[in-house]
Amino acid sequence: MIGAAVRIANSNRGAVTNSYGFFSLNLNENENELHISYLGYDSKTIKFKPGKEIRLNISLSPVGLKGREVVITGERSDKNIRSTEMSRIELSGEKIKQLPVIFGEPDVLKAITLLPGIKSGGEASTGFYVRGGGPDQNLILMDEAVVYNPSHLFGFLSVFNSDAVKNIDIIKGGMPANYGGRLSSILNVNMREGNNQQYKTSGGVGLISSRLTFEGPLQKGKSSFLVSGRRTYIDVLAKPFIPSRLSGNSYYFYDMNVKGNVILGEKDRLFISGYFGRDILNFQSPQNKDVFFDFGWGNSTATLRWNHVFSPKLFSNTSLIFNRYDLFNDFTFGTNGFNVRSSVQDWNLKSDFTWFPRENHQVKFGLNYTYHTFQPGILSGSLGSTSINQAINKQFAHEYAAYILDEWQVNQRLSINAGLRLVAFQLVGPYTQAVFDNETQLATGESKVYKPGETIAFYPRLEPRLSGTYLLNSESSIKGSFTQTYQFLHLATTSGAQFPLDLWVPSSARVKPQLAYQYALGYFRNFKQDAYESSVEVYYKPMYNQIEFRPGAQLFFNQNLENEMVFGEGLSYGAEFFLRKKAGDLTGWVGYTWSRTTRQFDALNNGQPYFFRYDRTHDISLLLAYQINPKWSANFVFVFGTGNAVTLPVGRYTYRFGVNPQEQRPEFAIVDVYGKVNDYRLPAYHRADISFTYLAKKTEKWESSWNFSIYNVYNRANPYFIYFYPDIEKQEVKAFMVYLFPILPSVQWNFKF
Amino acid sequence: MSMRIIAIALFGLLALSSCEKEISINVPPVDSELVVEASINQAIPTLNYVFINRTIDYFNPQLNLNGLNDAEVYITEGSIQGTDTLYSGTRWKFSLLSDSLLPGVYANLTFTGKENTPYKLDISMPDGKKVSGTTFIGKPPVIDSMQYWFQIEGKDTNSFFWMQWFDGPEQNNYRMAIYNNVDSLLLGWGAAQRFYTFDDELINNAMRPFRSLRPYSYGDTLNIYLSSIGRREYLFWESFGSAANNGGPFATPIAVKSNISGAIGSFTGYAIERKRIVLRYPK
Repeated sequence: MIGAAVRIANSNRGAVTNSYGFFSLNLNENENELHISYLGYDSKTIKFKPGKEIRLNISLSPVGLKGREVVITGERSDKNIRSTEMSRIELSGEKIKQLPVIFGEPDVLKAITLLPGIKSGGEASTGFYVRGGGPDQNLILMDEAVVYNPSHLFGFLSVFNSDAVKNIDIIKGGMPANYGGRLSSILNVNMREGNNQQYKTSGGVGLISSRLTFEGPLQKGKSSFLVSGRRTYIDVLAKPFIPSRLSGNSYYFYDMNVKGNVILGEKDRLFISGYFGRDILNFQSPQNKDVFFDFGWGNSTATLRWNHVFSPKLFSNTSLIFNRYDLFNDFTFGTNGFNVRSSVQDWNLKSDFTWFPRENHQVKFGLNYTYHTFQPGILSGSLGSTSINQAINKQFAHEYAAYILDEWQVNQRLSINAGLRLVAFQLVGPYTQAVFDNETQLATGESKVYKPGETIAFYPRLEPRLSGTYLLNSESSIKGSFTQTYQFLHLATTSGAQFPLDLWVPSSARVKPQLAYQYALGYFRNFKQDAYESSVEVYYKPMYNQIEFRPGAQLFFNQNLENEMVFGEGLSYGAEFFLRKKAGDLTGWVGYTWSRTTRQFDALNNGQPYFFRYDRTHDISLLLAYQINPKWSANFVFVFGTGNAVTLPVGRYTYRFGVNPQEQRPEFAIVDVYGKVNDYRLPAYHRADISFTYLAKKTEKWESSWNFSIYNVYNRANPYFIYFYPDIEKQEVKAFMVYLFPILPSVQWNFKF
Repeated sequence: MSMRIIAIALFGLLALSSCEKEISINVPPVDSELVVEASINQAIPTLNYVFINRTIDYFNPQLNLNGLNDAEVYITEGSIQGTDTLYSGTRWKFSLLSDSLLPGVYANLTFTGKENTPYKLDISMPDGKKVSGTTFIGKPPVIDSMQYWFQIEGKDTNSFFWMQWFDGPEQNNYRMAIYNNVDSLLLGWGAAQRFYTFDDELINNAMRPFRSLRPYSYGDTLNIYLSSIGRREYLFWESFGSAANNGGPFATPIAVKSNISGAIGSFTGYAIERKRIVLRYPK
């Protein structure tokens, strides 16, 4: 259990279990009793015989929840004050499932955008933006495996099946030294272990997808497994309504999570987890029966973890991880066609140690090695009698990290987390670096050949991390943090939002690693015996070696992608206010963020700074959860955000002149001229959602519930994009705003047996 | 191609739920710039012209050619002397065709381009601004063969065609226009209905096929203009294709890659191969 509270009886000392359920405490001679608690489970008191080294294996039994609480699952209720971690928030899987969402589909990535400092990319986007960073600056981990593209359904939903999620935690600042690789945030999605007491089946039927989970013990009370799957049926639902000439088109996604854990002995435990998911789009041209287009993408991950307890003071977790993101498209027209494949793949080996060397010190140290393989594109096919076989050169890289940190309780008031992370990135051969003429964009014929293992670029870097907490009193504290982080992988996108075709590219001789510093300061205060939490945090985050692409850059199958890149800087600063009520029938939170995020590139906007597309001056989230009675509960969400900054055309001209001889009038195309980058603000985005959950039946053997929700209750027309329409016939120009989702009711049925 | 089809699919999904409304919006005025489209070739006189206009504010109600009538336009023939290119040959003046019917369009009906010949463009405006550029009319491709076939779709008969030509070992760039009209006189490139711009990165020194994916109607007469163009000209037309079809939520500001100085636009020398095909069963 993650985050279970362990307190020494008659003392204010205690510990919290780590990600693997491990804790360690130094006890005085007369201390022989512990209280253990975890939300949703019966608390337990354990007495034991004092000794030099005591090892306890503790299990808790679940209880039925009497009330639905929006509390952070299983934490000490004053952890937000005492912990040196600032800018870190957890949400339980149960909480995520209660939030009203579009189409009634619970979604991890939609849920985290309700937290201050984390901004949504929009309704058709699972990309999220943390303290001014881009969507590729968030490290998304599912049971420690990197997820490169967390999207299904073109960004409407994420790849995380909420039935299989135990909890998530997101670190948006004050990143401790055991994390790295991305500039802006770490999102840990921890999957459930499975019920180790009895076999259970659960699932849900929604408007656009259904899910089914089966779990149970491998060894009762000790080990378990879980299998969870999900599939959309948009393709089936839409089929009766699709005209026959479009009947060859379909879209669907599916995914599956598998998890198991095995106890090898008193000191060893093994965990295995895996994920496989795909989105498939089939398209047949309605105008030409011979034209077919099949497109698909998806992630595969596998994690093998070994927990080992060396002693009551030393614990380790060693993981071997595989993850891969694949993209394919097959285009067929008659007897011709071509196939494109691209992928990014990692093998990762890491080992993390937690050591309690003495009172008031918790030391963590570890090593992390990743072998990256980037395959930007392989193209094969035929056109007429001509075969085509082309490939963008594969790239290989080693990424290393070693870290050490000390969580030091200096005295009753002051705690410090100081750490150092040494990272290195090595791009290696085999690789052929062609030289391109920048004007013609053609290969000059010159090239440099790198042998297997030969270094192309090497970037060793140091990342110091420091955070501290000073307790003003039992209810309030001040925290501060400093982090320096590097990022060696970059997302090649021009759309400003993540898209299935987007490529991950490594740092190279020309592409330097991205760098960010983050300074944060916060005041944390609890009220009414920790029933209320509040905080205000300010942050300042300069970023360097940021990457954008030239306007109109051709990213698809481009042998000279680096030539399309331009480099610059970014700056983000702001203040986040947060108030949360954690106990009682009515619970919830309200968050407000004021921020500014800009970018500056010499090659863009005439070198002048401009607002980042997702700069959002004001951002408000309100979440309320109310237990009406034992059967009914309600959730309400309100969000408000300053509109996105966009670049609009300010002028136009005519081009490609011609004369239509029948109608005797000129023909021409209209081309837009764009103004300053991101100089225009879309109207503000705001909406309210509401959901009700009805517990239809709950017995020992069967539980079912209905969830009714309304998305966008007051039918706000939130802008998706603006376009201009010059009507040559009427000689007038109009502007139109497109908005996506009006008021949308939905219903979902969930069951468990 | 893949991005376009994905965008179509996504828009299809969005169309199920998206709506739009007209809004009022103020955009700042734009600094006016000259825009030049200059086209010459070795085969078709109605495709030798220079069209000059200006950028205007987006909400300016003028939605016509907006041509400029008071320019002086010259095109000079050049020659290659070793590694140098000299522009000292015949100098043609291009004159305004009609200030009312075709404002901004300049032509010289006596001009005939030559294969394997460089040309220089010079434009002078009354306010002293000057525009210049160079291009090269190369050797036209030779269409080797053509075929056509039909698909019955309900009451309609869709027609398709296929053709191929040999792409040589040197680096080649192409622009193709298809003009669906019984009368084969193409008055300006914009009168054609379909355009394609591509190079030989995928297929080089081999037979290069082209196949129409979108259907035509039974009985259509297609006039196919397949041209070799230069590399800078290709980069301009490729960027123009992106700029002219830029819209929607994934739009990014695109500027065309001009190959002339002093204005936005291009000076393109086309080495044209023209073929005609009638999509009908032989009588």
